[in-house]
Formats: sequence, C-alpha cells, structure tokens
Amino acid sequence: MAATSVLLPSADLRQELTRRGAGDVGKCYQCATCSSVCELAPTQSPFPRRQMLLAQWGLLDRLAADPAVWLCHQCNDCTVRCPRDAKPGDVLQAVRSLVIEKLAFPAFLGRFVAKARATWPLLLGLPLLFWVALLGLTGHLGVPADLQAGWAYEQLVPHVFIYGVFFPVAGWVLLASVVSGRRFWKLLGSGGQRTGSFVGALAPALGEIAVHRRFGRCGAAKPRQLGHLTLLWGFVGAAVTSGLLIVGMYIQHLAMPLPLSHPYKILGNVSGALLVVGGAMLVGNRLGDRKASGTSSAFDSFFLGVVVLVIATGMTVELARLADAASFALTIYVVHLGAVMTLFLTFPYSKFAHMLYRTLAMVHARLSGVDSPR
Amino acid sequence: MSEPKPRPMLVIGAGIAGITAALEAAEAGREVVLVEREASVGGRVLRTHHYFPKLCPPSCGMEINTRRLERNPRITVLTATTVAGANRTTGGWSVTLNHAPAYVNSRCTACGECQAVCPAKVADPFNLGMCQVPAIRLPHPNAWPKRFVLDRSACPADCRACVDACRYGAIDLAATPTTSTLEVSAIVVATGWQPYPLDKLPELGGGVLSDVISNVQMERLAAASGPTGGKILRPSDGKAPTRVAFVQCAGSRDVNHLPYCSGVCCLASLKQAMYVKEQLPEAEVTIYYIDRRTPGRNEDFLLKAAGMAGVRLVKGKVGKVVQGENSQLALTVEDAEAGQLLHDRADLVVLATGMMPNLATIPLPLELCRDTDAFVLDDSKGRIFAAGVARRPEDVAATVRDATGAAAKALAAGRGV
Repeated sequence: MAATSVLLPSADLRQELTRRGAGDVGKCYQCATCSSVCELAPTQSPFPRRQMLLAQWGLLDRLAADPAVWLCHQCNDCTVRCPRDAKPGDVLQAVRSLVIEKLAFPAFLGRFVAKARATWPLLLGLPLLFWVALLGLTGHLGVPADLQAGWAYEQLVPHVFIYGVFFPVAGWVLLASVVSGRRFWKLLGSGGQRTGSFVGALAPALGEIAVHRRFGRCGAAKPRQLGHLTLLWGFVGAAVTSGLLIVGMYIQHLAMPLPLSHPYKILGNVSGALLVVGGAMLVGNRLGDRKASGTSSAFDSFFLGVVVLVIATGMTVELARLADAASFALTIYVVHLGAVMTLFLTFPYSKFAHMLYRTLAMVHARLSGVDSPR
Repeated sequence: MSEPKPRPMLVIGAGIAGITAALEAAEAGREVVLVEREASVGGRVLRTHHYFPKLCPPSCGMEINTRRLERNPRITVLTATTVAGANRTTGGWSVTLNHAPAYVNSRCTACGECQAVCPAKVADPFNLGMCQVPAIRLPHPNAWPKRFVLDRSACPADCRACVDACRYGAIDLAATPTTSTLEVSAIVVATGWQPYPLDKLPELGGGVLSDVISNVQMERLAAASGPTGGKILRPSDGKAPTRVAFVQCAGSRDVNHLPYCSGVCCLASLKQAMYVKEQLPEAEVTIYYIDRRTPGRNEDFLLKAAGMAGVRLVKGKVGKVVQGENSQLALTVEDAEAGQLLHDRADLVVLATGMMPNLATIPLPLELCRDTDAFVLDDSKGRIFAAGVARRPEDVAATVRDATGAAAKALAAGRGV
C-alpha cells in the first residue's frame, strides 16, 4: 500500500492567528519572495513561504512538527519585502506561540499563559500574593527593629524561603519542560530522519546560540540581535552569580553582603548592567519601526514585560540596599521575588519557551541535515 | 433645418490609443484635434520589436495608421504640443495648447545634411537612453511626421552648423514656443504609460547592475532600429549572453511598488524568450514567475514558448539579484514547486517591469477622475473619457478596442452642441 498522508486542517487556525497579530496571513499569494530574501532559510527546505501556505490551510499539526518555525528568528526581511504585506515574520511568531500552547504540559497552563492579554494580572499577581502571604504569615513583612547598617537581604527574607520556594518551582518547570520538549522532539522526528548523537549536535548548536550566529545574519531586525545577545549573556551571568553565591555562602563561608569589589559582586553587577542595556535595546526596538520589528502581540509583550520587571526590580533592590532604605528595599524585593517566580513558572508556556524549542529545532536540523549552510 | 456643426473632439496623446480614438471619431464624421507631446506619433508601440497578437513589427501597422491620419481631412495632428490649461464651458471645454518651438519646420525633407554636421550628442530618447544620437536627427526611422527634431539644450554656444548645412531653410534656432486655444466638445485622454523605473528595484539590481535591464529595453535590443542594430548583447561588455533570466512581476503586484498586475508582462517575457532563442539558439532562458497570466488564446503561446528547448519556467519570484562571479549575475529564488532555494547565474537579467500611467508623474491640467493608481476613469458629465493604458494596463489589441469605445462615448457626449 502506498504511503498516505492525512491532512488535519483546523478551521480555527486563521482566527487564532488573527488574535495573535498575524491576521494578514490570508493575503499571501505564494510568490516566494520571503524565502528568497530570508538570510536563515536553508537551501533544501527554505521558509517561510511553505509555512505561510500551511498556516492558510489551517495545518497546525504540520507547523508544530516543522523545525523551520523555530529556525526563523523573525528578522522580518520577509515582512519588509513581502509584496502583499502578509507579514510572514508575524505569522511565524504567532505560530510559535500556538505551538508553545499546543505542546504545553499541563495543557490548561498553556492556555492560561496563551491568554496573557486577559490573564496577565493573575500571572503577575498570584506569585506576588503568594510571597506576601508567605512572608506575612511568617512575620517577615516588616523590617526588623534591630536592623543595622550594612544589613543583608537574608535578615529581611531568610534564604530558606528562597530555596524552599524556588527549588521546587525549578523542579516543576524542569518537569513540564521535559514533557513538552519530548513531545516536540517526537513531532520533529516524524518529519525527518535523524542520524548522530543528540549531545554531539547540541554542543555546536549552543555554540551558535552563544554568539547568535544565525541572528547575526538578519537584515531588517539586525538591531534586535545585539539587544537579545546582551540580554542572554546578562541572564547567563546572573545565573552563574547565583551559583557562585551559594558556593560563597556555604563552602567559602563569605559574609553577606559582599563588598562591591568582590569578584562575585563584580560579575553580578556586570550581568545586571548587560540586562539593563539588553532589555532597554529590545524595548526600544519594539517601540521603533513596526514593520522591521514586527507586531507585538500580548503574548510577546507579557514575556518582555516580565523580563523588564525582573531586571528593574532586581537593580532597584541592590540600589535600595546600598542606599540603606530597608523598608523600600523590602517592598521592591517582594515584588522582585514575585516577578522572578512568574518568569520561572511561565517558562514552558510563555515566549520564554523559545529557548527550549529553538534549541531543540537547531539540534534536529543538524541531525537531519536540513540545515546545510548556504 | 440642419443641426449646428458639433465642435471638434480633442484627443490627448497620439499613441495607438489616441490614434485609434481619433480615427474612429473622424471616420464617424467628427472633427478631431489629436495632440502629441513628442515630435512624432506612435508612442510606446513603436518602441517594441514585435507586438501581439501576430508578432509583427509595429512599423507596418503604424504605417497604415499614419496613412489614415494623413488622408482623413477631419483630423488635425499637432505634434510637440501639450495641454496647458482647460476650462469647462457649456458646450464642452476651452483648451489652451502649448506648442514647443519649431526649431525644425515643415520644410524639412529629412535629407540628413544637418545630422552629418551636428557636433552635439544626446542620449537617444527613442532608444530609452541606451545609445547616443546627434542633437539634430530623425527621432526614429518610422517617424511621422517625417521631420527632424533638434534637442536645442544640447547645442554648443553659437553653433549654426545645421542651419548652414540645410538647403531648405527648415531650421530656425530662434524659434519660440507658441500657444493657441481651442473650443472642443469632449476630450479623450490617451496619455499612455511609462515603464516602472528600474532604479526603484535596487534589490533586483535595477539601476545598480548594468546587465540588469527592463523588458522595454529588451525590445530595443532586439529591434533593428535599436542601439545594437537588433543584436541581443549585454550592455556591460557587448557580449552575447548565454544565460538569460526573466524576472516576472518586478515591481508589480507589490504593495511596495505597483500594486496591480499590468497584464502584459508574462506574454512580453515569453515573446522576448523567443527573441533570444531565435538569435542565440544555444542560450539558456529561464522565466521566474509567480503566476503565468496568459488568458484566452495566449495560453497557446505560453505552451509554445514553454515547450522550446532551453526555455525553463520556474515558479518563484526572484528576491535578490547581485553581481556574481565571472562577470555573471547571481539570482536567489525559491523554486516553489520543488520547495528549494535556487542560486542561479545569468549573463543578462530582464526585469519584467509593469506599466505606470504617465499621469502618475506628468501632470495634465484637467480635472480628472482617477483611481488610486492614477488611472483615469470616464467622466461623462465632465465629457472626459479615457482610452488605452491611461485607463488601465492592457495590450495593444485591447487598447484598440478600448479606444474605439472611448471615441463612441466622446461622440455621444459631444452630440447636439
């Protein structure tokens, strides 16, 4: 029997795309200008012309299994040149948010974050409320009367609370990400034969990400590349600092707070500066040329908003401590903890998940040979 | 009791549309004034090598038309004339005409003595600037009226070489522009089109790479009266191309350029593919298209051209043309049927640019109803009717039918006045 392929068109896909800022998908007349101007499209399986057709036909199941959806970095060269103003960059961006929702575990959380336009107050408010309740019930919502100058944050919020909350949260996020990641990996495998080891392909993929090699080929959205790279390394630096601080506190037995001249502190502050600069560049880019930067859906804005909130409160927390404004510092610190919790908890369901899916797609592309260099 | 004699009808533009409208109205009995901006009639059609549907040179058909113009006593042809102003009157329009200075007058016999002594050279407007011609010359071999023109702005100071050479006293370097007024019953706007400018397409090499030419330039390359004497050669090095690429919809059906389809470029490129294959049988021709728009009987032509050995049709719009290696051009396009990117090479790239109404860039002092793309709409109340590509992009056959219709409407509007 000949192999048959089953098409499962979804009549709702067009409405979903419209809701996510990609309503112009229907204008596409398949001229293929987009694929030929894309600096990232592989020769043997170019995008986004084909993906525009799949989107018009309502074939979300095909799009969910298509690595091209994630190899796209929304440079928007396609959107700038599109003769029909169908905005392929926005369409693929919206498809990515749909795939994140489709593969989410558990599904209801995916739906909840996908509706960020309506649910953002809860997404931000519930973690904040949690911290207020936790600290309130344990009597930590006030500044201790005996607080001396040169205080450390542990004297306001004991570290055990941080560990007690964020370790389980991280574990849960890891679990949800592994489930979604496996789903995605299986879908990708159904579309193309893979040969080689996962780890063997992961290393060069991470190398590419480290310098944003692909992103660097973008034309129209080139300014975004630098902002994104800066932000990425800011987060990496912040994560490494957190790890070093644990080593410092429990192995080296360093006294907190560390002086500003301490290497860990310097790393933390450099990371903070990178985060501030990168975040500002991305926000500025969103506010600039709309065609080149793409349409901002609520899904995009929610993620960027949480990132900005985390950065802003994080930096304010440090400045408030240096200024010895303990009461103000505590307030901002609680907001910061809530925002970080939102960022963590929504990782598998928000735009943040592109880190997971794009990395997997890049590994898959290497293993299946679709991504031969141009 | 006889009706008063109707006022004449004004036809603006003496390309194929204006000539047809003028002839139809005159042959129906109406006096017609046909004004033309250039020094001779024929417009864009005369600049083609061959034209549809019979693929004959335009000169023979145009010769029949100019003969008809000559012989019809009801038609007054005013070349080198533009409309300077128009006022609505109860019976139609009162029109002011500008006549360019007649540096060469009707005594000219086109003997060519002046051209032989002329020291100044100008870019040949008939050949779209692809070659240089003397400042005084016959505009092109089929010019009607058969009279030389002088580009006075190119004359060196105090040069009178042509005046001294002319045995007929046909040259007057001191000629001045004149104006005249005219009462007309109705106006047919047949102002035609211009090719969409190449330099608006730099991403396709337009205006940047010398071997990227437009389809109208290709017509001139293939025509015997063209800059190469009819030989298809690369502008950069004068060599015959071995690989020729046609890029369809270059600046057409594109919201960033002309949003509409000009309706003729697909056939024009298929026709030009044949020019190439006839002259250079070994050449490889590729036509990159979005859709192959060849309605009606033209489908046969498509099948004929597509079936020729060495002619390839690829579904996909070219996104990039850049300078490649070995003095070739490099094209990037997705073959949408195969789902693969092609990185093709070509010696000569022809951009199938669309038709832009002349009125988009050249103002006409008339209150016209126009659509968003500057095409003219009929205005029965205003007694203004559009013919040919001034109305919409169309081929010669459709233009002739369209111009006949415009003449009929203008006749009806001007009756009984």
